[in-house]
Amino acid sequence: MKNLRNYFASALITAAVLTSCNPLQLDEVQDPNNPSEASVSNNATPQQIQFLITGLESRHRGYVTNISQAWNTFGREIWYLNASDPRFQTDWLGQNGRVPDRAYFGFGTTGGGSWASPYQAIKQADVLITSAGNTNLIPETSKSAVRGFAKTIKGYQFMIPANFVYENGIRIDVANPLNPGPFVPYEQALDAIKGILDEGDADLVAAGTGNFPFALTRGFNGFNTYTGLRQVNRAITARLNAYRKDWQGVLTALSASFMDLNGDLNRGPSHPYGASPDIFNPLFYLPNAAVNTIIVVHPSVLRDTTAGDLRVKSKFLRRTTPVTVTTDAGALVGTHQDARWATNTTSIPFIRNEELILLKAEAHANLNQTTQAVEAINIIRNAAKIGPYTGATTQAALITEILYQRRYSLWAEPWGHRWIDTRRYGRQNEIPTNFDGGAIFKQFPHPQAELSWDLYKGN
Amino acid sequence: MFKLYKTILTLAFLWGSVGWAFAQYTVSGTVVDERTGEALIGSSILLKGTTTGTITDLDGRFSINLPTNDPATLIFSSIGFLTQSVDVAPGVSILNIRLRQDATNLEEVVVTGLATSVKRSNLANAVTSVSARDLTGTTTIQTTDGALYGKVPGATIRSNGGAPGGGISIQLRGISSLSGASQPLIIVDGVYISNASQRTGRATVSGAGASNQDDGSNRLADINPADIETIEILKGPSAAAIYGTRANAGVIIITTKRGQEGKTTVSLSQDVGFAQPLRLLGVDNWSEAKINFFFPESRRPIELERFRAAQSSGTFIDYEDYFYNNQATLLNTRINVSGGTEKTKFFVSGNITDEEGTVKNTGFNRYSIRANIDHKITDRIKIGVSSNYIRSNTDRGFTGNQNNSGASIGYSIAYVPNYYDLRKKDDGTYPVNPYFSENPVAVTDNGVNNTLVNRFIQAFTLDIDLLKTENSFLKAQFSGGLDYLQNTSMVYLPEFLQFQRAQANPGDVLKGKQESFNTNFQAALVYNWNLGSVNMNSSAGLVRLDFADNALFNRGRGLVPGQRNLQQAAIQEINQEFNSRIQDAGIFLQQEANWEDKIIGTLGIRWDKSTLNGDPQQYYAFPRASVAFNIANFDFWNVGFMNQLKPRIAYGETAGPVNFGATFTPLGGTNIGGLLGSVVSTQIGNTLILPETAKELEFGVDAGFFNNRLSLEATYYIKSTQNNIQNLNLAPSTGVNTTPSNEAELENRGIELSLSGTPIETANFRWFSRVMFWKNELLMTRLGIPTYIAGAFGTGLGTFLYAEGYSPTTIVGAPAVAGNPGGFTFWGNAQPKFNMSFFNSIRMMKGLELSFLVDWKKGGDNINLTSFLNDGGGTTKGWFDDDNGDGIPNGRQRPPAPFNNAGRWVQDASFVKIREIGLYYTLPKTTISEWFGSSVSNIRVGTSVNNAFLFTKYEGYDPETSTFGAQAIANNVDIAPYPTPRRMFFHLTVDF
Repeated sequence: MKNLRNYFASALITAAVLTSCNPLQLDEVQDPNNPSEASVSNNATPQQIQFLITGLESRHRGYVTNISQAWNTFGREIWYLNASDPRFQTDWLGQNGRVPDRAYFGFGTTGGGSWASPYQAIKQADVLITSAGNTNLIPETSKSAVRGFAKTIKGYQFMIPANFVYENGIRIDVANPLNPGPFVPYEQALDAIKGILDEGDADLVAAGTGNFPFALTRGFNGFNTYTGLRQVNRAITARLNAYRKDWQGVLTALSASFMDLNGDLNRGPSHPYGASPDIFNPLFYLPNAAVNTIIVVHPSVLRDTTAGDLRVKSKFLRRTTPVTVTTDAGALVGTHQDARWATNTTSIPFIRNEELILLKAEAHANLNQTTQAVEAINIIRNAAKIGPYTGATTQAALITEILYQRRYSLWAEPWGHRWIDTRRYGRQNEIPTNFDGGAIFKQFPHPQAELSWDLYKGN
Repeated sequence: MFKLYKTILTLAFLWGSVGWAFAQYTVSGTVVDERTGEALIGSSILLKGTTTGTITDLDGRFSINLPTNDPATLIFSSIGFLTQSVDVAPGVSILNIRLRQDATNLEEVVVTGLATSVKRSNLANAVTSVSARDLTGTTTIQTTDGALYGKVPGATIRSNGGAPGGGISIQLRGISSLSGASQPLIIVDGVYISNASQRTGRATVSGAGASNQDDGSNRLADINPADIETIEILKGPSAAAIYGTRANAGVIIITTKRGQEGKTTVSLSQDVGFAQPLRLLGVDNWSEAKINFFFPESRRPIELERFRAAQSSGTFIDYEDYFYNNQATLLNTRINVSGGTEKTKFFVSGNITDEEGTVKNTGFNRYSIRANIDHKITDRIKIGVSSNYIRSNTDRGFTGNQNNSGASIGYSIAYVPNYYDLRKKDDGTYPVNPYFSENPVAVTDNGVNNTLVNRFIQAFTLDIDLLKTENSFLKAQFSGGLDYLQNTSMVYLPEFLQFQRAQANPGDVLKGKQESFNTNFQAALVYNWNLGSVNMNSSAGLVRLDFADNALFNRGRGLVPGQRNLQQAAIQEINQEFNSRIQDAGIFLQQEANWEDKIIGTLGIRWDKSTLNGDPQQYYAFPRASVAFNIANFDFWNVGFMNQLKPRIAYGETAGPVNFGATFTPLGGTNIGGLLGSVVSTQIGNTLILPETAKELEFGVDAGFFNNRLSLEATYYIKSTQNNIQNLNLAPSTGVNTTPSNEAELENRGIELSLSGTPIETANFRWFSRVMFWKNELLMTRLGIPTYIAGAFGTGLGTFLYAEGYSPTTIVGAPAVAGNPGGFTFWGNAQPKFNMSFFNSIRMMKGLELSFLVDWKKGGDNINLTSFLNDGGGTTKGWFDDDNGDGIPNGRQRPPAPFNNAGRWVQDASFVKIREIGLYYTLPKTTISEWFGSSVSNIRVGTSVNNAFLFTKYEGYDPETSTFGAQAIANNVDIAPYPTPRRMFFHLTVDF
């Protein structure tokens, strides 16, 4: 009997344990680390919209490091010397017969900072537009303002993949991640970008006047009004129109931009950087640091300078010890480093008055408006203290002069201007390869992941 | 043989008919070792078909009362000896039993269910058991997994490198997962322990990249190998099905030592040893001609000047020798106290491992305390607890990959010519390294890469005999435990280092706190009964697992000189915070049937659900079935030389867990310009994600020859996995890059052979020998998504192909070949052609024992980027030789032509290693009692070597290295690893 009692007791205890905390019961699963994307899809609060806007500013600078290092290497504005990984030299310079493939070093299968990153900014803009559209917690004018800002950034970002793959074309219809649209040719893509920028401009007009209703970082200081953002939008449109060879369109856009022929050439919106939790300016290197990973000025840029050019003085620092990096393709020596950034928290402008004035010159030159072209050129030359232009005023000569000035005015900006400019004018053969024995890439193929997706979908 | 049986049977019947009037009778006698004649203490004597039994006393004597006067069979067994059945009948009163040593482990008990076990001779699976003797009997190895090399057919074991404190990956029967590390589940005394390779932060500070390049230890390193009694390795789903969701990559069941009834024994062991690099490659010498070739014109004058200065002073430094070729001291102290009474048994152990690394300022300290206690509360209720506290303190230094920071010895010295002196100057400063971004001498002297783990593992078991009859029993078994692991890590580079001085905020410290708390609980009912002559063992139960992990990493840059406190930093950064909670629950049923040890079958099923799955409420079923035929136990068997023949077949299904977070589509946090932002993730969660599942069919045969002098185990398996998780790459133009998918399927087929035996066995000389052979072939049978390449460092240096009809271990790379799947050239395959191991143990002259283990891997390529770096820096030995006489040195013309492709760094990593050698002498008992009287019972001295010799054509420190640590794929990349040490020991063990 005693035994029987024991069995019952143990059975009861077991039953009690099992029912009080059922070991087969699992808790509900929630991400303990992040909010979900779904949390902003319906009736997002103004604060959530604000987070998405700041997120867009963050995505907006995603391309800076890769483009600054790679595209400026392609255009031989710089060398990105990197002793830890010789491929920054051998592969990016096209040494020993290397040519870009679909998973090229520095870009991977997604195209990295030159493809995936700008498209992430575009995605962020789309999510922002949708969230703002699906909430009743912000007024219509704010929705319009958000659309205007988002589309302006989208327009800017779309130009990056377009220029990366150039004639291979890009996808414009990317709203549905599981059903993206087709690749459209370069010209058609640029026209579509024009449409996006124009819509953004119209949205900013529709939003009214006054200050942008959400906080923007100090990168937009001076531009965080509806008017200011429209000026940025038009500046970006001017750059785009130059790529579209719509020279009258360049001038029209410039007139509504923040271009100021008498103003600070450096004025313009920028990508802010800072100490943690922000990130540091990725282009900053301590002067004369004993490192062997550094952006150095390409020898051809140093060779071709005009005596007394202030830009050379302010942008290039001659190092006390040159940086030498040896690879299986030989050695490269960098004598000068980038001196543009005072500190590692200095903002990096993404479009400046100086470029707008040069665009003005270029548009006039292409429209054979020689006088206005030379006037604009001289603004740049005088600022650089190299005296007014005295050369020939044929269209070809002016274009040569403008491209030369762009080399120094826009040197190593996070856009790869030289690479794009020489391609625009069929002058890529002017990019010198004799310093490194490499080759000049015209463009990149679509990243492998794009091809794979089409294969997966059976396209 | 059979005649004898018949005679005994006849006699038995005779006795039976004569002695029927007796109500019961007693059989007594002794049990001794057949070879040595020594008494076997604690041997068990069981009346067949019942639960009645007894054990032998200190003199090997026993006495058993038989309840009836019928003839009966007594089963004599003792651990490490072959079981003998002896028929008895009234009148047979004295039995002197001589048991044979179980050289082939037929008698060992193998866990086959969550609450049941079976003896090896009845096993239907190829379960490898590694005993304490196999594990640590030859030499002392730092970590348990490191002691498994060459002992487990079907296992591919790789080490990150030679840094002290572990960092080892085990893959059983190929790989079962593409996304995880495909590492087996590890259970210690019933506790599901963490074997995570936790982040250390080194790769962040050194710039190498993600935490998989940290060269962190896997946390099995915390378990003291000397505490282990046995390790059972369930290599695939056919054996591991009852473990369900987490068993795809196999299960390693570790059982620690427990107390035995009898006199309390105190055992004290001390190892003293030293380590040196197993292999160094040498560095190249320089000449003026080489300098003129290597350096650009502008650099030549200064280089020539440095070279001439070194020549005149005779100061050439072999940096490989300087950094790596140091003698490290290895000290291990162990104390075990064990004993107990019939009611309470205990095993208490303490261990101090204090081992230096061969690189200055590196080392591994482990303090471990264990108490394993078993207590019978009543005759029917038994409780067991196993408590283990561990403190592991590891300094692993700076080796491996880096970017820009120079915080890697091997990476830095690849670029430093031997005529330049980097050593500390008399004024206490370090010369600037003009060849790379850092002076590795300064980093080695002053950098810190430390991991301190405090860990507590607690297991409990509670066994209740609910019912016990003459030939059946029902018991309830509750077991479980917890594993609490706290990891404090620090990576520190002081502000005065060259690279730090070149930064805006010199000085860098990254501190991590990681905590994991795993609990598991299991309840089972086991009912053992007889159905006619079939013994049935039925079990049912439930399992619950909880895993909680959190990590917080903080970084400080711009440090006050000499300070490591984060508040002394100009830039204070929360580097990472990550939390995860995982819950699994399961139910299992298992039925085993044993017909007179002739046919043994098992059926089982487990249902599991997990919060990791897309549907956390969905149960997934994992069935198993197996059967073994002990043909030699059938009456018709009359092949005299073959005493065991057991064909066996087993089938089972398991799963591999989904990665935490696979179902989420998060908004990430970001900060820019002082504002907080939310960014859309580049991953879309898959709320329909399924666990990875695997099916395995295994069949084989076990055979014993010449009375088990020789035994053969042969197994063939086909393991196919479904729903393998891999990222489906979305078109990146949609702003999202990946979503987890369940499309892929893999197949592993392989064979495992093990031949062991005692070719010579006399009273004074016993030679045990074992040869193992295994081979696995992996194939991607279905990819389901477009062919892709991933892993390592891209196509330029060799990467891996994920394509249907290929093994994902296939190495491809530049140049592009449009016609090939994946678009690149095929250069190699990481998968070995086969592995073999050869173990010998010779005991002679009463107490002398020599053993050694040889390990052979044939085939399997590595991506050797150490060669790539050394070639880049002109320091590879023979770099400036010019074999083809074309004026371009070999170092610039690594084949194949045209010397710009990825194939240059893909190298055959075949090798032969003399893994372990041990020579021990046990002092004769008579000598001990002469010297110490009765206070000392046993003294054993010995010497051993671990990683004694390496024979390979591979151009690296160790063909078994992985810069990415434990990974399913790309675990064969060699980047400036910590050289593997050769470890030599002297051992002394004294038992009191």
